[in-house]
Amino acid sequence: MIIEALEVSFVLLTALMIVYLIRHYVFTLTVLRSLKKTKKVTVASDAKYEPMVSILIPARDEEKVVGRLLQRMTELTYPKDKLQVIVIDDASSDSTGRIADEYSSRHSFIEVLHRDKRDGGKGKTSAMNAGFTRSKGEIILCFDADYYPQKTIVEKLTKEFVDPKVGAVQGRVVVLNEPQNIVTRLVALERIGGYRVDQEARDNLGLIVQFGGTVGGFKRNVLESLNGWDESILAEDTDLTFRVVLAGFKVRYVGDAECYEEAVDNWKAYRSQRYRWARGHMQCCFKHQLKVLKSKNLNMKEKIDGLLLLNVYFMPIIVLLSFVVGVPLILLESSKLITALWFSVPVSLYSFVGNFAPFFEVGIGAYLDGRTKTQLLIPLLIFTFFYNIPICTKAFLDLVSAKILRKDHNIWVKTPHSGNGNRYITN
Amino acid sequence: MKFKANHLVLVLFFEVIALCLIVSFRFVNIETVIILLIFNFLFTSLIFQLDGTLNRKLGMLALGNIIGLFWNFIFHSFAVVGLAYFGEIFGAFYTIFYPFLNLMWIVSFWSLSLAALPNFQNMHAEAKP
Repeated sequence: MIIEALEVSFVLLTALMIVYLIRHYVFTLTVLRSLKKTKKVTVASDAKYEPMVSILIPARDEEKVVGRLLQRMTELTYPKDKLQVIVIDDASSDSTGRIADEYSSRHSFIEVLHRDKRDGGKGKTSAMNAGFTRSKGEIILCFDADYYPQKTIVEKLTKEFVDPKVGAVQGRVVVLNEPQNIVTRLVALERIGGYRVDQEARDNLGLIVQFGGTVGGFKRNVLESLNGWDESILAEDTDLTFRVVLAGFKVRYVGDAECYEEAVDNWKAYRSQRYRWARGHMQCCFKHQLKVLKSKNLNMKEKIDGLLLLNVYFMPIIVLLSFVVGVPLILLESSKLITALWFSVPVSLYSFVGNFAPFFEVGIGAYLDGRTKTQLLIPLLIFTFFYNIPICTKAFLDLVSAKILRKDHNIWVKTPHSGNGNRYITN
Repeated sequence: MKFKANHLVLVLFFEVIALCLIVSFRFVNIETVIILLIFNFLFTSLIFQLDGTLNRKLGMLALGNIIGLFWNFIFHSFAVVGLAYFGEIFGAFYTIFYPFLNLMWIVSFWSLSLAALPNFQNMHAEAKP
């Protein structure tokens, strides 16, 4: 009886893993096929569309990086009279506020919103809402302080909003400090899988493109109707993605709107960032799962992909469980089916790293990006996955215990930025 | 003449791949055949769509099959000896770690194959703004 129960559990767990593998195989195939098609020229790309744009930059203790972003803001090609840059100095204890003030005094389109320790320091969502209240733009774009966008990024992102069905856009994140060390190189590979293939394929297939919290934006009226950012959720990006699509709008991915991020450069910072992502994503899963199923604004394929997207941070736990259940079954010489399905466990080990892309997807993404050296590191991605198993398991257990004890208070642990990315900026 | 030579090379690669599958079925085990088939499926459906001549891609696929066959043959021989020496428990552990061992060559060969292809025409610039 116990063995039968274990067998059924193992079959279900591996079936779920195989569903994810098929999903990513389809994504990879879609991107490869789209290369052969000529890009459709839309009215949006040709029309002169220059609405008033507000750029929100939340910054807390970002003195090492905020200057380079603000310098970049002054170099943007978008007309400055239609641009409003708001730096939200969120109770910084370093000179972030002073640096922002210096730029503000020299450039009228840059404004600084200082938040003291009483109002500020409550996390990114709180800072974003404060900035949103001050904004005037028809389009609201967001950039994290450690990011470094292309000069033409505003035009590239805003042109998608010509389509009235588009509520949000997402640009591409590329790791700036990729050559720094092995951590940044592996994070870069994860990003390639996530953006070069996953996001692009979702956009091509008409699925739910994920807003990544930065290098993207919203239509003001959409954001207003959603009451801005939900401060009770750690993964505010995923939360907004689902609120936008559930409200009947589309999120578009603009692959050529690139922005360079300073990736975490040590395992401790990696763990802290991924824990926040995992816990926040799981919160979103509990919040939106049923709404996605019941939604009348989503078609069947969007619902299926939406559910898979919401549950993605459970995959490391599921792989761990399948290992725990599968090993005793093999030791007890269970059925041939179990032995056959066992192969999906190691494949999955190479499939749910970081942005949860399998090795074949990351490889193709790296090739399309011309990252000939970085793609040789793909076999090492297994270590980041092993690292993600305890991170995601802890996030899940913490979330469940917090829900049971009714102490679901979010503690926003800020990712520290060393400013090491500055040395990789060549212009 | 060149046209015929190219075709001969293609046929040779096909034969090598078919031979690897037959040999693995006859002298190794059915699991090796399945692993090679999965590898061939992923390789042909994804890497074959990238830039590079058919000869080069088919050559890499044949090389992958040869590596996979030898890798599995070595571990299979090791398992036969281990099973005779340690008994049934070794067989169970071998079954558990067998797919992990196979993934090692598949993933490594995958990344090496991509590096061996010519650069993608519309490639993205290296990560420099």
